[in-house]
Amino acid sequence: MKVYLDHGATTPVDKEVVKAMLPYFTKDFGNASSLHQFGQKAKEALENSREIIAKKLNAEPKEIVFTGSGSESDNLAIKGIAYANKDKGNHIITSKIEHPAILETCKALEKEGFGVTYLDVDEEGFISLEELKKSITNKTILVSIMHANNEIGTIEPIEEIGKICKEKKVYFHTDAVQSFTKVPIDVKKMNVDLISLSSHKIHGPKGVGALFIKNGTKIQKIIYGGHHENDKRAGTENIPGIVGFAKAAELANEEYISHMTKLRDALIKELEKIPNSQLNGPRGNKRLCNNANLSFHFIEGESALLRLDMKGIAVSTGSACSSQSLTPSHVLTAIGLKPEIAHGSLRFTLGRENTEKEIDYVLKVLPKVVEELREISPLTKR
Amino acid sequence: MYSQKVMEHFKNPHNLREIKNPDGIGKVGNPVCLIPSTKIHINNNLKEIEKINLNDKVLSHNGRYNEVIKKYKRKYSGNIIEIKNKLGKTLLTPEHEVLSVRVPKTWWFSLHRNKKKLPIIWHHADELERKDLIVYPILKEEKDVRFIEFPHAKKKFDFRSREIPKKIKINKDFLRLAGYYLAEGSLKDKVTKTYLSFTFNINEENLAQDVIDIAKKLFSINAYKKIKKERNTLVVTINNVFIVRLFKSLFGFGAKNKKIPDWMMLLPIEKQKSLIYGLWEGDGYFNMKKRAGYSTISYTLCQQIKMLLLRQGIIPSVYTEEEKITKGVKHKKAYRIHVGDRDSLKRLAKILNLKLEIDKPVSIDSWFDNNYLFVPITDVNKKGYSGFVHNLEVENSMSYTTESLAVHNCGDLMWVYIKVGKNKEGKEYIEDIGVKTFGCVAAIATSSMITELAKGKTLEEAKKITRDDIKDALDGLPPIKVHCSNLSADGLRKAIEDYESKKKAQK
Repeated sequence: MKVYLDHGATTPVDKEVVKAMLPYFTKDFGNASSLHQFGQKAKEALENSREIIAKKLNAEPKEIVFTGSGSESDNLAIKGIAYANKDKGNHIITSKIEHPAILETCKALEKEGFGVTYLDVDEEGFISLEELKKSITNKTILVSIMHANNEIGTIEPIEEIGKICKEKKVYFHTDAVQSFTKVPIDVKKMNVDLISLSSHKIHGPKGVGALFIKNGTKIQKIIYGGHHENDKRAGTENIPGIVGFAKAAELANEEYISHMTKLRDALIKELEKIPNSQLNGPRGNKRLCNNANLSFHFIEGESALLRLDMKGIAVSTGSACSSQSLTPSHVLTAIGLKPEIAHGSLRFTLGRENTEKEIDYVLKVLPKVVEELREISPLTKR
Repeated sequence: MYSQKVMEHFKNPHNLREIKNPDGIGKVGNPVCLIPSTKIHINNNLKEIEKINLNDKVLSHNGRYNEVIKKYKRKYSGNIIEIKNKLGKTLLTPEHEVLSVRVPKTWWFSLHRNKKKLPIIWHHADELERKDLIVYPILKEEKDVRFIEFPHAKKKFDFRSREIPKKIKINKDFLRLAGYYLAEGSLKDKVTKTYLSFTFNINEENLAQDVIDIAKKLFSINAYKKIKKERNTLVVTINNVFIVRLFKSLFGFGAKNKKIPDWMMLLPIEKQKSLIYGLWEGDGYFNMKKRAGYSTISYTLCQQIKMLLLRQGIIPSVYTEEEKITKGVKHKKAYRIHVGDRDSLKRLAKILNLKLEIDKPVSIDSWFDNNYLFVPITDVNKKGYSGFVHNLEVENSMSYTTESLAVHNCGDLMWVYIKVGKNKEGKEYIEDIGVKTFGCVAAIATSSMITELAKGKTLEEAKKITRDDIKDALDGLPPIKVHCSNLSADGLRKAIEDYESKKKAQK
């Protein structure tokens, strides 16, 4: 049996999505910037897709810019706002548990003279709104807090953050790569100025992302060339990819959310029964519907991951042993886990195609794997 | 990523179990240790490892400060490895891992462009030899400070003291003055005498004038110049109680205790150039043909200047000069920094506004990349040691930096159990062996492999099994895992030593 529980890394492309994409590779291959019929056909597909994505966010179509990935969207948002608003200030606020696309971009900006505040998070991964308020100064130009965390599934209080940013008149960006189609997003209600999205996390193709940029936002482009994408991102649009992305967004629905929530809760409930295990991150509706992250004491994540792989189960880990730098996950460290506990963490991210039967299989295999590794570990207390 | 052999041993590990009533146990992995007086870079300072506290922040191999979350101390008797390079020396236990590059001793790798292609790996201390490269982290953190607050109030009947601004600008002028003070300054803070003074050489008129100008510009205070012919010096004095207190609180006083404040070490490197300028004009020298140097009796200041120079891409060599008496004059223990290679001299000359025309060849023994300095090991010595050894557990990076190298604490743990029997020839051999392992795939596979290799061997044969034997038997390990997870040979050796010492005790 093969069970894929690493949808936080990437997802299989939906068959419907592939079908929607196919004509744009061969028959309707035009460049959306061309004036002839070939081009206009592509343009139509592009604008259609834009409308679909915009609708999902309750935004205007012209507020959507397609990019090459979620990371590119994050880069455009942070650098674009920073460079365009230098005259207003040079201070950015973000959190310690952001995706590297945010953290590394901020670090790069620090070298260029920008100041960055990295907000702490509590043991469930939530930022403190008080702390945020205190950190905003008259030099602050941007706040970037992720919508849902990719490792521990924490859903940050975006609406409240949006309110604070609106009051203080600073731009607010959120990385919604993990949450898009899993948590409802309404840009009007949430007071967000920029949102990063990615296609391959929602059963769309890889190599496509999008950035919502609210009308009137002062932003500078980071990729120069032609006047594509409302003059905000140069480069011929990846029409088949964009069409696929839109189709994938269209296919997502509430039913999938409740399906994944059910599986997640069953998985967490049973895994917590393993002695000396702990859930990392929050519970209930403050947690992403498809994320379960647990630490199993006395064992190391890479070993557990590959043992599971031998049984056909794919998961991921925050263990240092599996990273090139030999450092444990920055998210697990930020929520205060000791290195040895972070070492023994496994992340399960569900998809809509997972079944109850598959979860049962995992629940049969995993306790045995944990037991086997504990058997040989000197840390195990008996 | 892993070889088939490794995966086989991972899937079906052999003898991974505890042996009841073993004849010997060898425990390896954390903690591995440094001797007590080894100095560790904490928050901009160096502190002896035994005096480090929890929550102190130490410099990690990624160039950032991370918190110490655990301290270990244990009794140790055995070999200690002393590794020396330009930056200083460090004493550590043989299995401790050092961030380094092993250079094959062939002609091909005597060329530094070929050396540059070799991988950076955590090597065990006892694997390193002369001419291998130490990979030393450069402080990466940067935080600009534009002002500092200096709250101070006049005393009720103090009509004389002139007030200075409560917010003090940290600009190039201030940093230059800081440099002059650290190098040439002294202060008196007594009721009757309160002043800050700078002692320059009689021909350093320009520096004296600079101090006077800066005092005027930053604090609107007049400084006074006095020539002392008999001593060949030029003394500039600032008679202001608030400036004295400010400098005392920032830089300490007494030449031996001078140091640069934490935040100043993290200023942007462009700004730090002014600090280096002030320091060098004060206590440094620059020989246009050969080399430049700096000398101080403050150990902390010396190490801080080393860090400042590394941030500028300048390679320092650090020497200690013991206390001595020459021509009847007593010289205190001093620390000297030399800069000798061409690129470093060029960079330093630019900071000092000097025009440099030298045709010295480029140094090929040391160089920088974006994150590290690469310096050759100049000497490795093994010494016997008996006493306490210490180790730290560091948040995030699991590593910390001494004055001359970066060390890692390993996350993996291995306990090796042995049962010893006698064979037909009457020789002692390994009758049974079991290992318990906490670690990754590589750690489990190497544990399993050692049991295969050791079982049935005499103790003498078993002691000779090396890490390389295990690696080879597994058809290799990924470079990053070679040293972190390959502890089983050490574990076996320790188990045998444990058995032998127990036997001795029984006699």
